[in-house]
Amino acid sequence: MLRLLRSTSVRLTLVFAGLFIIASLMLGAILWWETAASLERETDAVIVADTQAVGDRLRDFGLAGALTTINERVAQTADEHAVYLLTDPALNRLAGNLSAWPAAVGKDTGWYEASLVRDGHTYPARLFHVSLSGGFQLLIGRDMGSRLAIRHLIVNALAWSALVAVALAIAGGLLVRRAVLGRIAQVNRTTTAIVQGDLSRRLTVGGSDDEFTRLARTINEMLAQIELLIDGVRNASNAIAHDLRTPLAELRARLEDTERRLAGGAADAPTLRGEVQDAIDDVDRLVDIFNALLRLAAIDSGARRAEFRRVELAPLVEEVAEVYGALAEAKGARLIVNTPEQIAITGDSDLVAQATANLLDNAIKYAAGGPITLSLHRQPDGQAAITVADAGPGVPENERGKVIERFRRGDASRHSPGVGLGLSEVAAVAKLHGGALELGDNAPGLKATLVLGGADAALPHANGASKSAA
Amino acid sequence: MQDVMKFLLVEDNARVSDFVAKGLGEAGHTVDRADNGRDGLFLASSERYDAMILDRMLPGGIDGLGIIEALRRTGNHTPILILSALSEVDERIRGLRAGGDDYLAKPFAFGELMARLDALVRRTQQGAGEQQKTALTVDELRMDLLARKVVRGDKTIQLQPREFKLLEFLMRHAGQVVTRTMLLENVWDYHFDPQTNVIDVHISKLRQKIDSDFDKPLLHTVRGVGYRLGPDT
Repeated sequence: MLRLLRSTSVRLTLVFAGLFIIASLMLGAILWWETAASLERETDAVIVADTQAVGDRLRDFGLAGALTTINERVAQTADEHAVYLLTDPALNRLAGNLSAWPAAVGKDTGWYEASLVRDGHTYPARLFHVSLSGGFQLLIGRDMGSRLAIRHLIVNALAWSALVAVALAIAGGLLVRRAVLGRIAQVNRTTTAIVQGDLSRRLTVGGSDDEFTRLARTINEMLAQIELLIDGVRNASNAIAHDLRTPLAELRARLEDTERRLAGGAADAPTLRGEVQDAIDDVDRLVDIFNALLRLAAIDSGARRAEFRRVELAPLVEEVAEVYGALAEAKGARLIVNTPEQIAITGDSDLVAQATANLLDNAIKYAAGGPITLSLHRQPDGQAAITVADAGPGVPENERGKVIERFRRGDASRHSPGVGLGLSEVAAVAKLHGGALELGDNAPGLKATLVLGGADAALPHANGASKSAA
Repeated sequence: MQDVMKFLLVEDNARVSDFVAKGLGEAGHTVDRADNGRDGLFLASSERYDAMILDRMLPGGIDGLGIIEALRRTGNHTPILILSALSEVDERIRGLRAGGDDYLAKPFAFGELMARLDALVRRTQQGAGEQQKTALTVDELRMDLLARKVVRGDKTIQLQPREFKLLEFLMRHAGQVVTRTMLLENVWDYHFDPQTNVIDVHISKLRQKIDSDFDKPLLHTVRGVGYRLGPDT
């Protein structure tokens, strides 16, 4: 029983039924007070008023006045089965419609309930006995038969409605329980399926905007986020398996080869040194991939949002351009930098610099030879955007989603060096800043736009200028 | 290239410890070693060292950060380089905040470690006076920090602001090996990891300006490690 009570649904049912029954009882009490009880109060008031009237007549006009009044009243109330009896102090009848003092009414004054007989019928009566001046005894009453019948009717009605109320309470409680439990059971089923590994399951969201719908929506959003994170982890593991295995395989082959040559005595010191140096370079490349992965994981986790500060983008873009300008020039590309406007965002300056560097790095890697334009500008919706446009081979439209995926490179550039995480990192930085990485056609070439959220309102750039990096 | 220095190395991985100790020994320095936090703290507080190399995570009840905090509380200001497998930005900041002077993530090249140790020791020995100098001189190369002018011999060298900053850093560390990461961290304001070696390009441009018209090169590439500014040794 205790365990049953611990169940929320059982408690909910009981509370619902209890409240319903209490409400019904209160309603019944009010009905009773307003109907049956009110009828009785009214009757009593009439009787008391009558006795006072007879008393007043006796005082003002003597016994004759009282007798006249009683006879009048008897005549007026012939059809109401009213009872009037005036006696002398020895209880001998003086006037009224009772032949004798009823045995059930004692000497004491006050209210009596008695059965009286009229025309051979017995009927219940409510009687009021008062002693008037001069020792006269007055008994006035009313036939309660019809009133008792009404009272009975009301009691019956109330009893039935109480029964119906209890039945409704239980049924309602069960309904509430089913409604609540049904939704909860659905949540339970879905989450159980998820626990067992089916992350694609979602709660059904009803059309109404009630608490359950909102809860379901929140849970679904949470599930989507979890699925995204798990996909991220899965991708990362696949990526590690693929992109770390390849250089590891190379490294292993290199070391084994060196070892074999050493065993055969066929290697001289300078060759060996070169091979060991190559092996160290392999390890460094592995560490670079590893660091890029860790950085991505850190960005994805969103933890760096806690370190967000105000970042002036123009000097940032100019510095990254300056770092890469010399390299672009050495590779025969002309880097054109365009920062006509002062734009500040709330963000992580190092990450935005890293993302900008990755975009420039890609452009120089894949599109050296033509001009590369790096510009900072405002999108029509006011968001800050850093665009790198080159005149290289570009990325076909159907490939654009894929190159942002982790560890992908456009087919044309498979053989270029690079970790292949560059654009994924840019996309992750953009997402962290509430923006996006948009890849478009520069006809010819690639136009990559890093959109960043949280930009300040527009301000004119003090020395807005377009210039070529030295 | 430097006087003999005395280092404390606290590292629990025997192979890494051997590798570092051997390298330092070959460079002519002496090394005391401990493989746990307790012994490390004991040595650190009882001996005098030019610099200490502490692993971040150590057995023995007290880790690298604990040692640093304990030393700094007792007024010991020996320069400390933290070694750690934890390379995340937060970890680096935590290490420096605890009182470390530099931070190097594992795995690392010995050249990088040595270059950073040199820079740390030099910075401590020079003290504040060096930072307030208004002119730097390396051989016949002179830099006037107030007028922002560079002269080699009697030839004035025109440098762009960033090149000036790059040369200033190299001149402040004249005779020492300076790695690419050290340059990236100190010469540029934003910290990012260029996937291509952009530093080499900047160095070669700088070299063009200061060395091309002279017989004796001053800016040398140290293979696999970085660069060194100074007359040939």
